[in-house]
Amino acid sequence: MTGWLELVPARGLLVQRPRIRLELQPGDRVTAVVGEAVHAGEVVAERIRDPRLVEAAAPPDGPDQGIPLPGTWLPGEHARAGRHAGAPAGELLFEHAGRRRLATGPHPDRLHAPADGRVLEVEPGVALVLEIHGPGLAATELLGEPHSGRLVVLPEDSDPRLALDVALAGAVVVLPGRVDAEALARARAMGIHGAVVGSLAERDRRDLAASAARQQAGPHRLAPFGVLVIGGYLRRPFAGAVQSVLDAAAGAVVGLVGDPPLLLLPADRELPLPKMDRIVVRGGPEAGREGRWLGPGGLRRVRGGITAETGLVALDDGRTVAIPIGELERFAALVANG
Amino acid sequence: MSSRSPGAAGSLVLPGPASTPTGHRDPSPTLGTSTDDRQPAFFTLDHGTATLAGALVGRVDRRWRLLAAAALPAGSNPVALQGLLVDRLRSADPACAAAIGCGPGEGAEPPAAWPRLRTTSAPTPTIAIIAATERTCARLEEAATGAGWNVVAGGAERTDPLALTRLATRPGVEALLVGVADPPDADEREVATELAVAAAGIAARRPGLRIFLAGPVPEAPLLDIRQAPITVRLPAPAGAPGELAASTLRAALAAARGGPDDSRRALAAAAGSLARVLGLRVEILEIGLSGAARVVASPGRADDGRITATVEVIEAPGAALFRTDRPGSIDRVDHWFTQGLDRARLRDRLAELAIAPWRDLDADGALLRAAALRGAVERLLAATDPVLGHGGVDLVIGAGGAWSAVPGPAAAHVVADVVRRPGAVQVAIDHARLLGPIGTIADDAERDALLADLGEDLLLPLGTIVMPRGLRPNRPAGTLILETGGARSEVELVAGGLTLVDLPPGASGTAELAFRGTLELGPRGRRFQVAVSGGLAGLMLDLRDIPLRLPERPDRRRELLGTWERGLWPERDT
Repeated sequence: MTGWLELVPARGLLVQRPRIRLELQPGDRVTAVVGEAVHAGEVVAERIRDPRLVEAAAPPDGPDQGIPLPGTWLPGEHARAGRHAGAPAGELLFEHAGRRRLATGPHPDRLHAPADGRVLEVEPGVALVLEIHGPGLAATELLGEPHSGRLVVLPEDSDPRLALDVALAGAVVVLPGRVDAEALARARAMGIHGAVVGSLAERDRRDLAASAARQQAGPHRLAPFGVLVIGGYLRRPFAGAVQSVLDAAAGAVVGLVGDPPLLLLPADRELPLPKMDRIVVRGGPEAGREGRWLGPGGLRRVRGGITAETGLVALDDGRTVAIPIGELERFAALVANG
Repeated sequence: MSSRSPGAAGSLVLPGPASTPTGHRDPSPTLGTSTDDRQPAFFTLDHGTATLAGALVGRVDRRWRLLAAAALPAGSNPVALQGLLVDRLRSADPACAAAIGCGPGEGAEPPAAWPRLRTTSAPTPTIAIIAATERTCARLEEAATGAGWNVVAGGAERTDPLALTRLATRPGVEALLVGVADPPDADEREVATELAVAAAGIAARRPGLRIFLAGPVPEAPLLDIRQAPITVRLPAPAGAPGELAASTLRAALAAARGGPDDSRRALAAAAGSLARVLGLRVEILEIGLSGAARVVASPGRADDGRITATVEVIEAPGAALFRTDRPGSIDRVDHWFTQGLDRARLRDRLAELAIAPWRDLDADGALLRAAALRGAVERLLAATDPVLGHGGVDLVIGAGGAWSAVPGPAAAHVVADVVRRPGAVQVAIDHARLLGPIGTIADDAERDALLADLGEDLLLPLGTIVMPRGLRPNRPAGTLILETGGARSEVELVAGGLTLVDLPPGASGTAELAFRGTLELGPRGRRFQVAVSGGLAGLMLDLRDIPLRLPERPDRRRELLGTWERGLWPERDT
């Protein structure tokens, strides 16, 4: 035990060779093959748009034919003489009583690999599982779709409404300051591939989701766009350790994924790791400050009459304060394959 | 005029072990499910979704006593927590620490031989339900929700196979429940096989998905797929929707969801022990970050004279503390919150607390937690009242981390505000989170003896709430005469408010209530005699309306709620 440091919950900062899941739905066509290496931006699946259910007669059994497995992609069949009406190409949901239920529809959209890696598993209509070569920076949620692009870190005091322009098309931008749905919609319209934000309010999340739904419903869809939220809903600055990793990865091609929520970083960059006893204050009057763990501070009564276990922290500004352990966080630098 | 004694017949002062029923005691108790009499101490660990709570219980003067307890955010190291408990005991009472074998010279680490009683409350898993008809689907949904599952459901009547497949293969779905009535209704017979085939299709896509078949759903299609899933046969949904208490399906689903150390199931065992030991009708309101449960345990006597307990437990995932996805749930938190906050900000703060429940502990963060707790208890009661009813009990216990996030008297105020039943009831909280871990002890007699032995250390008494119904607001209502330990005090009662009478923890007495008119306090009458016990909030005479009516205008409502809140939580503004 390092001075009771383990009383403070640790949050994973980087995930080594993360295992990520790209969501599929019945009817999507996977073009990648299990075991195959994929590179960022490569098409790994064709996404179905407006899937529909089709019921078709199963063909009469040939000498070597059995019932195909659910999830199998079946080619289309032309109508034949007699009572066989044919069937469109589609994914088999199941076959029962001589009838097949197929998920079918047009496939105008493409699913791209968000980073270099290897295809581990294909669950038809459910998910494509990849193992990524580089580490992943842990986040809490991805809004929108997985994507990749060159990482551009905007200064903390920049106004995203002014800083975002078409020169950033194809990039993934880090927006450390205040962000709203309007700024994100503008980013999307300019061809920016994604954004990394510290937090996003519920109202902005809803506006963003509604905007994305409108885009998806239109005949001419915009490119995928993802917003990776590192924190939660209330505005908080990036922790120093997170900011250091983002700064170190600036300029490299990174990926955004939602399952698990990660910023996929290049394998060849050296990333700074935080010191073990580095503490971040996540709430209360000292929220956002950082410091060094000194040890348990005992049970103390905080404002409002609540009694809580505290820890003593030497803040970077020179003060030593007792802060409820619930308000503290530290980073476990490397987490095993997620 | 008659003298009656409704409710609160017993006291929170537990009887000694001699009065507990004797039963079989495991001669070689297993580590982890027993306190092991050969050891001088044991730890309890409650691994909650938000909180890791631990306690050190030691044998002092031939009695089990709570020696130290602490709660930390989930993710903290349990070994470090145990070390902290031992360290705290060494600092506070070195002689006691030495007596149980962990004195200053015994090494820094807590003794490994001491048993650990552990419970876990994992995040609520999601189950997909596909059923032949909407009718059966509704029954299955009720059973699964009452068993603590989050549910996504569809009936083959209205949902096509593509939508059912998408529903069951969503991210986060951990199990699939396929069901038809037994015997199948006329409209279900033809669909049952097709449902099984559809389930096989889903299982083929999602290897590892747990499959439950309720009722006469054929298993053969599931056995035909390449990696045949492990299917579990469950009873068919029976009875009309709402008859959950008798549902064997619900019990089976609850067993399938939680492991042997599931905290909510363990609470039910502990509630049964409490009912047996105290001879009281006990209700536990457990509110957690990932779910909630209500347990009602009633003592009884078997034919052979043994004291028994009937325990009913219903879970309500929708009553999780910061869950705001149900219609109106934000409005209810806003209804109870005594600080003005715009709706968008309130939603964000609750969503943030759902991610980081320990943040912003102080100031209005505590008030927001109290408001969220009221909303959660309301949802819990609304979900479980149709089954468990809203009849009076003798002792209400708040369990789960949510109750410890506000001062004790404020927790009593939460109960008074939301659990609106005429009668007298004692209120306590499971402050050291002992009930769950103790509930994992398999042997009833051992568990009962331990609870009786722990006595007043077990629960933090908050006091007694006396809540009559039928008063006319803002009028003199009558008189209270309180007799405690030879002392006698008299209080004039005014309807419409909350009257607080000092009655410290450990004190007990008799309250004689003489009202000006006939009203309901359990039974109807004008004069009542009620046994009361003390606590941090003392004796609370709640002479407000049942149900509680508050002003519509938010500012007036906040002001009124704030006035009551300040009476029980004077530190809220400091």
